[in-house]
Amino acid sequence: MKKFLKYMSPFAPDQSGACSVFYELGGLIVICDAGGCAGNICGFDEPRWFEKKSAVFSAGLRDMDAIMGRDDKLIEKLSIAHSQLGGNFALIVSTPVPAIIATDLKSLERMGEKKLGIPCIAIDTTGTNYYDKGEEKAWYRLFERFAKESFEKKDGKIGIIGATPMETGYKNSSSLRNQLESIGLHNFVIYSMGSTIDDIQRASECEKNIVISLAGLKAAKYLKDKFNIPYEIAFPFIPEDIIKKASDYKDKKILIIRSQFAGNELRKQIGNGKNITCATWFMQDNDYANDGDVKLNGEDDLYELIKNEEFDLIIADSDALSLIKDAGFKGDFIDYPEFAVSGRIFD
Amino acid sequence: MTNAFFQTAKEITDKGYENLSTELVSNKHLIYSSPATLSFNSPGAKGYGVKRAGLAVPESVMLLVSPSCCGRNTSLFKSSPEYKSRFFFQLLDDTDIVTGRHLMKISDACGEILESLEKRPSAIMICITCVDALLGTDMERICRKVTDKYSIPCVACYMYALTREKRLSPMAYVRTSVYSLLEKQKRESKDMNIMGFFSPLNTNCEIYDLLKSAGIVNIRELARCEKFDDYKDLSKANFNLVLNPESRHAAQDMQKRLNIPFIEMLRLYQPDKIHNQYRLLGDALGKKLDDSEYFEETKKTIAEFKNKYGKLKFAVGEILNGDAIEIALMLVKEGFHVECVFATIGELNYRFLKTLSALSPETKIYSNLSPTMLNYEKDDIDCFIGSDCLYYFSDKPGIEWCDEVEPFGYRGVIDLFNALDKVLR
Repeated sequence: MKKFLKYMSPFAPDQSGACSVFYELGGLIVICDAGGCAGNICGFDEPRWFEKKSAVFSAGLRDMDAIMGRDDKLIEKLSIAHSQLGGNFALIVSTPVPAIIATDLKSLERMGEKKLGIPCIAIDTTGTNYYDKGEEKAWYRLFERFAKESFEKKDGKIGIIGATPMETGYKNSSSLRNQLESIGLHNFVIYSMGSTIDDIQRASECEKNIVISLAGLKAAKYLKDKFNIPYEIAFPFIPEDIIKKASDYKDKKILIIRSQFAGNELRKQIGNGKNITCATWFMQDNDYANDGDVKLNGEDDLYELIKNEEFDLIIADSDALSLIKDAGFKGDFIDYPEFAVSGRIFD
Repeated sequence: MTNAFFQTAKEITDKGYENLSTELVSNKHLIYSSPATLSFNSPGAKGYGVKRAGLAVPESVMLLVSPSCCGRNTSLFKSSPEYKSRFFFQLLDDTDIVTGRHLMKISDACGEILESLEKRPSAIMICITCVDALLGTDMERICRKVTDKYSIPCVACYMYALTREKRLSPMAYVRTSVYSLLEKQKRESKDMNIMGFFSPLNTNCEIYDLLKSAGIVNIRELARCEKFDDYKDLSKANFNLVLNPESRHAAQDMQKRLNIPFIEMLRLYQPDKIHNQYRLLGDALGKKLDDSEYFEETKKTIAEFKNKYGKLKFAVGEILNGDAIEIALMLVKEGFHVECVFATIGELNYRFLKTLSALSPETKIYSNLSPTMLNYEKDDIDCFIGSDCLYYFSDKPGIEWCDEVEPFGYRGVIDLFNALDKVLR
């Protein structure tokens, strides 16, 4: 049965992805929900929450707010918070409740900007999609709204687009910086991790962007169109031990289950053979997929894939292991945690 | 930047509940999401939320019918042995929500659950969320359909965050749901149930001995029922003892359906009030309950603690097994100083606030939920009680006091001071 989970728990939703992109940028973030969505985002999907304070709020919607569509009340609450705390922008992240009552998010943006006098962005997440959809919308809106001015190019400066804890599995930007430096990069900015809104505004200074997730691709294309910044695809954040272990199987039949760009990078590191299939629970772009790569739409798809193909090795988050075993898999397994699946982190 | 908002106990009492400041009224401002508020925003992330509570029925399974976001944090406890193979998810997409077609699939999902399990569950709990609240879904009808088709009890659990401040909150409603499978049977005069929590009371609590001294033989609690047959015995009770107001509706429902009357008590930490409650309980049972030994032991424990540590300055939080204001009041009455309390003030808090205000008018009261708490600067305290306080005062000694074994009565007070002694030692 489609969309029925008996082995795994639901993956990180789109509102968590949207929030993740803006988390470190110094704005007021309002999850437009009754409380549960904000609790899930902060208590589970945002590993920085326990260490790094950020102005993340729940709108605290109640049934009559939803029935009456009290947008003015939300803007009033936002205005009070802004007068108390400041903030260089406001972000409103939608959830199932505003999606169902068809809240006019554009109107909320206009009302917010008028009342607060700062940029106000509303992201139309619904809770029915996964984190990557929310991140894609957030990355695009972030650059579209703030990267407007052309600055002089800085020699060798590189922008990293698409890095969030959910995508990379690392919550500290220093972990990512170390890995980038280890491959010879020194003059770079990792957008939204260890950077500020000023770095976004100065995005045109970069000579090149590296896109590490499919969710960041649309924003990279926007920056290419607007500032003629070329981009390349890479995912330089795969733990060494996983590559090392997987390389022992380079001539075997391998299945990698990971977000698309990370999966592709791991395949490349192992040897890029046709014996390696990449599958993902999340977005898949045919332009970056090999023949035979699979978009998994549910547990049944993975079950069938494993039953029909005789893989020697599967590299995936171990949350899927009981499903994999029940599908009759007898080969070897390498656990590659994927935060959006299991909530596990590397650092 | 505004400093964290607070008012003193006196200011709040003088103003009265009707005139509470905006910052202390949760529906008048944005809700700050800090680790200190996790229990408010997402009760299931720590302790019991609707999902986990729904599975209090022994050997039951749960089908969560919702967008993926609502079931996300279930990963936190789904893998524990207690919940293995008990959670299932039917995820909704946009079309489901617009057309309501997901309702047609619930029966098939239940069929698939039954097929996938080696042992037939005792019941299927179907948990629905804000989405179905807004769609006006008649889940009772769907549950009846499932019961008819598969001959298995099926019960709706409502995880409606939108209605959390209603008289019947989701956590009150789910308590009614988990007792709803009980069927009428002959009541036994020496049997009773303790209601209120999803985990058992501390086994050493004096209430068991006191009830036995009044002639009660079988004291049952939902959380101690391991098998569905144990659960069914709950309807043999001659009366229910309700220790948490959130169980009142469930008790009323049992009174109506099963003719089981109920008595209410509160979880209190003031020894004199605990004594009063036991006296009243004895009156209701027609037997005098002699609690003098426990009372004396409690007073002695507190006195020894005070002799050892002097007039400590406390912070008391709201994420704990108790009422923050009542615990603060107890501490003040026992001669300690309460510098600050973190609490969401409701009308019922005023029964303790008035006395607290008279005895300690300068005690500061903060709302964890106020956006200004982003700027909270630590008060000068010696130790804290409460999981939320741990977030604010991580460099100070203190206790979270929110273990799953529920403290109650004199034993709760003694254990509280012993736990404090352990961290201060």
